[in-house]
Amino acid sequence: MVIDLKRCIGCHACQVVCKAENGTRPGTLWARVLEQELGTFPNVRRLSLPLLCQHCRLAPCVEVCPTGATQKRADGIVTIDPDKCVGCRYCVMVCAYGSRYYQAQDWTYFPGNGVNPYEALAYAKHPTGIVEKCDFCLSRVERGLQPACVAACPANARTFGDLHDRQSEVSRLIDERSAFRLREEAGTCPSIFYLPP
Amino acid sequence: MPSIDALDQRLQDLMLPYRPQREWIEGRGLLIVIAHFFSGVGAGVWLFSLALDYDAGLIISIVVTAVLAGGAHLAFLGRWQRSWRMILRPHSSWISRGLLGIILFLAGAILYVLPGVRDSTFGSAMLAVSILGMALILVYKGFVYLVARAIPFWNISLLPFLYVAYALRGGAALLLVVAAAAGEVFDIDLLEAIKLWVVVSSAALVLLYLALANNAGAAARRSLHELVAGSISPAFYGGTIFLGLVIPIALGAIGSTAGLWRGLLAFVGLSSLAGDFFVQYCIVKAGIYLPIVGELPPARSHRGRPRLF
Repeated sequence: MVIDLKRCIGCHACQVVCKAENGTRPGTLWARVLEQELGTFPNVRRLSLPLLCQHCRLAPCVEVCPTGATQKRADGIVTIDPDKCVGCRYCVMVCAYGSRYYQAQDWTYFPGNGVNPYEALAYAKHPTGIVEKCDFCLSRVERGLQPACVAACPANARTFGDLHDRQSEVSRLIDERSAFRLREEAGTCPSIFYLPP
Repeated sequence: MPSIDALDQRLQDLMLPYRPQREWIEGRGLLIVIAHFFSGVGAGVWLFSLALDYDAGLIISIVVTAVLAGGAHLAFLGRWQRSWRMILRPHSSWISRGLLGIILFLAGAILYVLPGVRDSTFGSAMLAVSILGMALILVYKGFVYLVARAIPFWNISLLPFLYVAYALRGGAALLLVVAAAAGEVFDIDLLEAIKLWVVVSSAALVLLYLALANNAGAAARRSLHELVAGSISPAFYGGTIFLGLVIPIALGAIGSTAGLWRGLLAFVGLSSLAGDFFVQYCIVKAGIYLPIVGELPPARSHRGRPRLF
């Protein structure tokens, strides 16, 4: 995925649509937008940095997972098998991007009132005691659709495609716009590229 | 009842440039520190009990490792029923290697202490298996933390040595407490001398570790600041330094010349055990993630020329 920081307007639509698509529990933000101020007065600017699992090529979470619950698919998407995860949270410790969430408690959006029917339906996919993260909306991608955050971005800041295909739009953007990755020095080779603001 | 404070805390953390790790220290997360502490103590007790030929120590080691360390490990997991799966990936995961070590150790140790086994060939084989497991237990914990490059304060190559030293200290300290309670059951003077040497060595390791952390980047320096001048400093100064280093070294030095009466021996052992726990608690608690946003490339105009802002 390529995210154009020049196009991102910090509207948090990706964050909201991710919630709507995946029905995650409160406190879990598979997609989020980090707001940061850069520079010193008077030369300051505000940066909206969309974040999600970086689906690293050398994913440390895959390496350290003691059960094999975290796997890297042939297409590069890193997934978690909820039936294998034991909730040791080792992957949370090694993720440099804060993209993994341990479901410790059954938080709901209306504390004290139990879960409403919509929450009950959504939370059935998010049991407690395990770790979760973004899977690039695998169910959508397997149907030939874009991930929800890509489809919903009103500024077209996100482009999803095959990094190995040199003719793809993502490869073209990476080549032409001097794309960079977050924390490259961590040696994880993230699959999310950012275009400079 | 789910805690709303914990939810708020999690959401606030997501916006912080320096995010503290909380999963392995807060709430049930503390159990992993307790589990690592007791597994180190258990392995240390096994080593010293073998060296001092102290049979009761062997049993104590098995109980500490199986009940206290094993129980805390299982209680920490979100889904302990699936814990058997954790042994599946010893080729890449230090947690798997640690579990393998615990299983090897317990299997070998339990069979070794059975009546009539010790003097047989099978007994020697089980002793070798238990020592292999013990060695794995001693080293795996440091490597579990070391490989977390996202937390620079843990990603310091001295950490496994520190954990080994503190595991040995813990084992010696528990045996001192046992000796104080049970009387002259083994050569206490020898153990005291070994313990003093290990405590002095671990003091040097702690200082060296902190010096290395100071040069391991901004996040590690932040961790160091939390440790020596922040919210963790009471545990660091009171637990790690005073209980774990000052008391054992001072009383150990007195004991090596004049000898210690049993009450004081127990106090040294308990104080040292508390210090062993607190050093592990402080290191884990001080873990702070690398900031997600590092140095961004310079901003550019639409024609590709660098611009200020």
